[in-house]
Amino acid sequence: MIEFSDVGLRYGNGPEILTDLSFSIEPGSFHFLTGPSGSGKTSLLRLLLLSLKPSRGKVTMFGEDVSRLNQDSLLQMRRHIGIVFQEFRLLDHLTTFENVALPLRVLGQVESEYRPNVIELLEWVGLGERMHAFPSLLSGGEKQRAAIARAVIGRPKVLLADEPTGNVDPELSDRLVHLFAELNRTLGTTIILATHELPLLDRFGYPRMVLNKGELTIHD
Amino acid sequence: MIRQLLARLPRRVGGFPIVPEKSVAGRTLLLLVTIMAFLSAVTLGGVVLVQKSAIAWSADVGRELTIQIRPVEGEVMESNLRTAVSLAESTPGVASARALSIEESQNLLRPWLGQGLDLSAIDIPRLIVVQLSDPLDADIPSLQRNLGAIKGASLDTHAAWRQQLNTMAGTVVLSGVLILGLIGVATVLAIIFATRGAMATNREIVDVLHFIGASNRFIAGAFQGRFLSIGLQGGLLGALLSILFFLIIGTAAGSVLPSEATAQVGVLFGQFLLGWEGMIVILALVPVMAVLTAVTSRVTVRRYLSEAS
Repeated sequence: MIEFSDVGLRYGNGPEILTDLSFSIEPGSFHFLTGPSGSGKTSLLRLLLLSLKPSRGKVTMFGEDVSRLNQDSLLQMRRHIGIVFQEFRLLDHLTTFENVALPLRVLGQVESEYRPNVIELLEWVGLGERMHAFPSLLSGGEKQRAAIARAVIGRPKVLLADEPTGNVDPELSDRLVHLFAELNRTLGTTIILATHELPLLDRFGYPRMVLNKGELTIHD
Repeated sequence: MIRQLLARLPRRVGGFPIVPEKSVAGRTLLLLVTIMAFLSAVTLGGVVLVQKSAIAWSADVGRELTIQIRPVEGEVMESNLRTAVSLAESTPGVASARALSIEESQNLLRPWLGQGLDLSAIDIPRLIVVQLSDPLDADIPSLQRNLGAIKGASLDTHAAWRQQLNTMAGTVVLSGVLILGLIGVATVLAIIFATRGAMATNREIVDVLHFIGASNRFIAGAFQGRFLSIGLQGGLLGALLSILFFLIIGTAAGSVLPSEATAQVGVLFGQFLLGWEGMIVILALVPVMAVLTAVTSRVTVRRYLSEAS
């Protein structure tokens, strides 16, 4: 599904942030992406999100060499990738329901089409009672669950999560990772979850992609 | 009221607004469009007033001819006046002809010669006012030829004056159009700056939309809907304010100026009345401002998004 071959990344004329990355991710898998701060986790996630182009090497996603894709094809491919951020990045002027429905609006669906699906998903993530609340009234955990719901409402094939548990307490962290695991199990979504919380990695036995000084090793 | 009206407009397919409806940048742009619409409407209204008055003056003057008979030794003025009146009345296209009395002629000279001067001792030229029923069909060359038989008679068609009047009105209209063009350019530039400011303010929304797979076209469309709404509101407010301005100026001209001055202003500008056509022209600015705002914003947003990506 995702294959990196000798991929390197540098910003401008600076040093390489990521060096000789070669790995493949199978459909329906779950990986933790970990490493110390500044090791390049976010840069790798941005490469996976197609918002950055590698400086060298080849990235193949869903069977296509992404360097050969034009803007429109990249956009279409990006719609198969969901993203969850540490800082949630919900739009403050929209309700929980509207935030979660946003990706479907982008796809051109009208409310009558997406309403039942959005409500069902909100209930599944435990936000059925909070669908009309604005983000400013939600707790950290509720915001992150809303962000996860927004990321998966369009049924992406790949879900990327950049430190999704960074702003919540340990108990809630576990519940959130359980939610990702449930998505992986029930929908078959491929998940790459970036975190530097080692206890979390130990509690869940998923394979780890460990980045250190721009180099990647995978521990199954 | 405007918000209520806009709320009745069909909403964008999908429902909720992707770009916040209330923001500082939005309010600034609304104020800016309102001011620009007001200035455009006042300029346009001024042009309409001048043009309406020029057409009315030209039409009035065009329906009138003046025969002047200068005193000539050996000629009997009264007899020449009667002959000229009868020649005029027999000319095709002439409705009536009337010789001004000596008193009326003297009154015409008073503004130049002053009050209290005894004009009875002076032989003054006499005038005949000829009203045309149809200026296009009037046989003026024939009247001109016939008047040649009366010594000292000459015909004034006011053509030179009308020419000057039309030139003056044309210059005012052209200046108005030029000012409108400059206001248009200033509006476009101001909208570009305001739009870029609004985009910077809403950078987070743009980023999130990009991350969830929105195309630049979709994002530009979302912002365009907001800017179209601002353009409509600003255009309508500016147009209504300018109509109010003309109503106040018209009323003030009647009550503040002395009656003689009011009469002269009335002759010049027709009592500052825009009339229905003037109001329609001003209200036509509303969609123009809305489209100008929406199109300028869309182009600016697309450029901004291209630069950002």
